[in-house]
Parts: sequence; C-alpha cells; structure tokens
Amino acid sequence: MSYLKMAQRNLWRNKRRTAITISSIFFAILLAIVMRSFQLGSYSLMIRNAIEQYYGHIRVQHPDYADDPSLENTFEYDERLLENISMIPNVKTVTSRLETFALASSGNITKGVLVLGIEPESEKRFSNPEHFLVRYRLTQDALDRLEKINALTAQTREVILAYLGESFTNSAKLVRIFEDEQVSADELYRVLDATKVKGRFLREADSGVVISSRLATYLNVSIGDSLIMLSQGYQGASAAGVFPILGIIRIPNPDLDSRMVYMPLALAQNFTYSPNRIAYFAINLYNTSDEMQKATTYSIQVRIADNELEVKTWQNLNRVLVQQIESDNQSGKAFLFLLYIVVFFGIYGTVIMMVHERMHEFGVLVAVGMNKLRLALTVVLEMLIMAFIGIALGYLVGLPVIHYYQIHPIRLTGEMAKMMMDMGFEPLMPMAPFGAYVVWQGVSILVMVMLACLYPIRKIIRFKVVDAIKR
Amino acid sequence: MAIIEVVNVDKIYNDSDVKVVALSGINLMIEQGEFTAIVGPSGSGKTTLLNLLGGLDTPTNGKIRVGDVWLNEMKGSKLIDFRLRNIGFVFQSYNLIPVLTAGENVELIMQLQGVPAMQRKQVAAEMLSKVGLADRVSSRPAKLSGGQQQRVAVARALASRPKFILADEPTANLDGKSAESLLQIMEHLNRTEGVTFIFSTHDQRVVSRARRVILLEDGKIKSDFAQ
Ligand SMILES: Nc1ncnc2c1ncn2[C@@H]1O[C@H](COP(=O)(O)OP(=O)(O)O)[C@@H](O)[C@H]1O
Repeated sequence: MSYLKMAQRNLWRNKRRTAITISSIFFAILLAIVMRSFQLGSYSLMIRNAIEQYYGHIRVQHPDYADDPSLENTFEYDERLLENISMIPNVKTVTSRLETFALASSGNITKGVLVLGIEPESEKRFSNPEHFLVRYRLTQDALDRLEKINALTAQTREVILAYLGESFTNSAKLVRIFEDEQVSADELYRVLDATKVKGRFLREADSGVVISSRLATYLNVSIGDSLIMLSQGYQGASAAGVFPILGIIRIPNPDLDSRMVYMPLALAQNFTYSPNRIAYFAINLYNTSDEMQKATTYSIQVRIADNELEVKTWQNLNRVLVQQIESDNQSGKAFLFLLYIVVFFGIYGTVIMMVHERMHEFGVLVAVGMNKLRLALTVVLEMLIMAFIGIALGYLVGLPVIHYYQIHPIRLTGEMAKMMMDMGFEPLMPMAPFGAYVVWQGVSILVMVMLACLYPIRKIIRFKVVDAIKR
Repeated sequence: MAIIEVVNVDKIYNDSDVKVVALSGINLMIEQGEFTAIVGPSGSGKTTLLNLLGGLDTPTNGKIRVGDVWLNEMKGSKLIDFRLRNIGFVFQSYNLIPVLTAGENVELIMQLQGVPAMQRKQVAAEMLSKVGLADRVSSRPAKLSGGQQQRVAVARALASRPKFILADEPTANLDGKSAESLLQIMEHLNRTEGVTFIFSTHDQRVVSRARRVILLEDGKIKSDFAQ
C-alpha cells in the first residue's frame, strides 16, 4: 500500500470536498492566466503603439541629450557605427534623426513645431509615417469649392461641418462619417473628389517638408503652400527657411499631430547649420522581452564604447508610459493576490475540516506506531495531489485559451476600437503568449497550498494521542 | 522478569481548574503470557492505566518498565517507534483506517516496521485467518460488522509481533454474540500462541474469562487476583 495510493483513496473518500477544492484551484488558475495574458497583451499593444511606432525601443544619443535635447548635444553621424548596430541580430531597424524646435508660420499664424529630420527610406522601415499619409481633408476651402459648384444637401453639409478640419488616410474612413446619413452615392463622389489631397511622403533629396494634419489645419495650409520656419541653429546660429509642403500625415498621437514637421535629414542639417550631425539613432528590436532588451542594450554599448554616446531604453525615456503600465500592472497583481487569498482560505477551510474529521484516525495511527512526520507527509501529499490536479486542469484549459486568442486576437468594439482605428491600428487585442507569468500562477497556488498545509502539520505535531483517540 | 513493571505510579489531570486524581499509588507486575482484565466502574482509571502501559501518556509520578526499557526515558518518535515494535493496541471502536481494506490495515503496521511487501501480504492473510476473517481480506471496514472490525484490529495488533496487546474495552460496542466470539479468539491466541493480553472491561461475562483480574476503584488497585 503506497502512501500515494492511500492519499488517493483519502481524496476519493470525500469526493465532493475534493472536487470543490480542485475546482477552486482550477478556476483560480484559469482566471489568473487568462487575465494576466490579457493584461500583458494590452501592455505590449501599448508599447507597440507608442514606442515602436515612433519612439523606438532603444536610442543611442549623447549623454546630455536626455536632459537637454538641444542641438549642442547632438553628435557626428557615423555610418560605420550605424551599420555595426544594425548587425546585432535582435536589432530590427535603425534610423537616424535630428530633432529641433522651430517656429513655423503661414500668413499671420505662427506655431511652435517639432522639426524631425529623418532619413526617408529607413524611417519608412522604422515608423512608416507614409502609412499615415493624408488622402482626404475636410477643409473650409474644400467645402467652399463644393458649394460653389452645386448646393449640398443639408445632412451632408452638417456632417462636413461637424468634422471640419479632420483628415483621413483613405476614402473608407471618410465615407464612414456619413454612414448614419442618407447621402447619395453621387454626392459622396463629389465630396471625395473635392476633399482629395495630393500629397506624398518625403524623399531623400527633397527640399520641402511633410507636416502633421492638425498642424496643417491650425496653420490653415495645404499641399503646395509654403511654411516659413525660424529656429536657432547649431552653436547659436540663427536658422531660417521657407519650405514647401509636400505632404500631410495624420499621426496617431494627437500631441505629435499638432506640431510635427518632417524634413529630410540633410535638409534639417542644412536648416540648423549642423552639417552631418544627428540627435540619436532610434532602434527597434525583434524580441522586446526584458532579458533580450538588456542583452541588446549591452551589445550596443560594446559597439559604441569608443564614442561619447550612451544607450537609453524606452523605459528610461518614457517614464510616464512606464508608470502607467506599472500602476496597471500593480493593480492586476493586487487582484491576483486577492484571488489567491480567497483560494487560500478555501483550501485552509478544507484542510481544517479534513483534519478534524480524521483526528481519531490520526490518533490511532500514531498510537500503533506511525511517525508523526510521516503522517504529516501523507496529509501534505493529499493536498499536493489536489493542487497539482487543479493546476494541471487550469493549464489544460487556460493555455489553449490564451493560445487561441493570441492567434485570433479579440476584436475590440466601442470607444477603444475607435481610438485604435484613429491611431491607424486594427482594433485587435492580442493576448500575451505563454511566458513566465503562466508558471508563476501555478507556483503561487502551490505556495498557498503549502501555507495551508502548515495547519495540519502543526496540528499533527502537537496533538496528544490520548486526546485524539478519545474522540 | 515481568514484561511490565509499574512502580508507584500516580496520574493527576491538572489541565482543567479541578485537579483529578485518575490513578494513585499503582504498583503492578505483568508476566509474559498473562490474560488479564482490568475492571472497575466507569471513571475508575482503567483507560488511564492502559494508556500509561502503552506509552500513550506519561505518569505524573512513578515509572513504568516495558521489557527492559523504562518508558519515561523515551520521547517523541523514539517512543512511537518503541510502540510500533513492542505493543499492540485494540481500541474501543474505530480502530481501522477507513480507506484501507482489512488486509491493508493489517499490512500497514508491518509496512511501518519495514517488512517487505511479499511477506506482509502473506502474514496479513495469516493473521486474518487466525481471527476467522480469511475471506474478508479485501473488505473495507465500512463493509464489516463491529465485531469483525475488532477482530481485524486484533489481527493488526498481532501482525506487529508485540510483547503484549492492550485492549481498552474491546467489547464495549459489541453485541453479546460478537463480544463472545472476540473473547474466544483472544483466549485462543493466548492459549495456543502465548500472546499476552491486557484488556479493560466492565462486562461481567468478559471478566469471567480472564485469568487474572485487577480491580480498580477511584484510581487505586482494590484487588488483584487470579481465577
Ligand atoms: N484528559 C483528562 N483530563 C481530565 N480528567 C481526565 C482526563 N482523562 C480522564 N480523566 C478523569 O480521570 C478519571 C479516570 O478516567 P478513565 O481512566 O477514563 O476511567 P475509566 O476508563 O475507568 O472509565 C475520571 O475521573 C476521568 O474523568
């Protein structure tokens, strides 16, 4: 008669209690891993949206640039260095940028803008701004033009007025604003025709700029208009220039969208009198796990050792996002903690009942010669079997669930979906794949079970045989 | 040499507010092969005495020798192991582990002793047949009558090859016929195999089968005679 078999029969003895205990563990594990997978999935989505699409996972820059992002803290562009970094296996894309602030004006409207000097080709691979190129804009001009030819129906007019100033990256998005209205196909074609924007994205040798859509609206400019820009150049030189607008893009981030001016890198260097200087290399990675990011950061550090540069991760540079994720993560963990406390008390209750029911039996066993330690072990064994079955079942159901939703991401609806679509993403929410967090849920349950086991262990070590037998 | 020697033993329960003197000034010798009944009215100290003899509890004063070992010199797991190898127990009721079959209940004690599996099976079957339950080896306790359960308990006690078997009111919960048959078996084992039995009872019919009767009253030995 092995102890395992004895434990198994003891579990069978009170089937209902065993079933309840196992299912509480099962549901806890299932809930925990599915919830965690969702949470972690949403974080990687946030990171993908905010970081990968503009910021970059890692930046290489002058040590003082983080505190004082001025042209004085830029550095000499080094082709070999860039190539060296791109050769690191986990590095997906590298692009060089020059950033500076400038005043942009058109007519008598002036606004502070962020000038981003980019290498158009590598930037396309990196953040692909071209993807956000505006094709349709509902401007006052367009409306006037429409009305001049032929009066619009009241509804169409109303919708256009409601969305005046908005930009659209494709016709489908523009058409969607009319979806609740009775608008004839004919009129839709007229609207599409009149609001069309013929912009394009930057090319290396361009001497014009591409600006963001809210900025274009604010300055009341369009393709073909010119922007007058004033700035301070490198080493205090004053910079000024006139730049034709070649294209308009709609940047998902509203803040960036209200003040962004893209320029080819060479033009930006010219404008700011900082020939061949760049502000940073922005780097995106394939594998963004903490360990891989750390390893890659280290590889980059080794390659830039000779230059007076430093490596910054997006976490270093984006405290706000990091804190946002962290606080959400903490509340997620707190919820799990509560869940496990509940499970703990469930198991604890089970153990107490079980011990009390079997006290006489324990007394007999110790009286006839069973060592207390061995007795305690048989009880712990029973608890562990329940824990393992519950955890295994939880994994058995939970893992396919997260696997499924990782491959078939959940399609978001409502506000969240709208927000994501505005940002140019499909409103899909992938769950995080299998990872350490899955293992931790099992470990946590095991710890709870072991903690609950302290009760019978204590009870068994302390009880007096004569008292136990009397019951 | 007597297998049990009790010297000036007192047992005083002090755990509640009132002090209960359960045993006082007990001196006793028990020889190998005895078939001894400890009798007396309820509350006279029978259970207390058996518990002390079995090393399940410790006397307040005095000492007890079992074989060549003084029980007060052992503690914890050493004492448990001593019980395993030297003393057989039959309690009033619910002696058996409910999830184990009769055979496994008997085997369990040998397993604790480290007897190899093959031998365990064989001995268990042998012991069960000695108590007339050869055909119930694979029955769970719940499927056995009270009398049969007590007989399995005797078989289990026997299987450990103890120096003596302590039985605290083994017939208390049995009907007349079952009590009779249990006693017969115990007597038979005592006669033919020399197994030492010390049992408590307040059942007159059981008393009449004992060869030595120790009468307790208010925790003192009132009389001690052979019959
Ligand atoms: N754990 C205990 N605490 C206090 N008093 C006890 C305890 N166990 C037994 N007694 C008392 O000791 C006396 C002897 O009890 P016991 O040995 O059980 O008698 P018997 O077995 O003859 O009925 C009784 O008065 C009983 O109430």
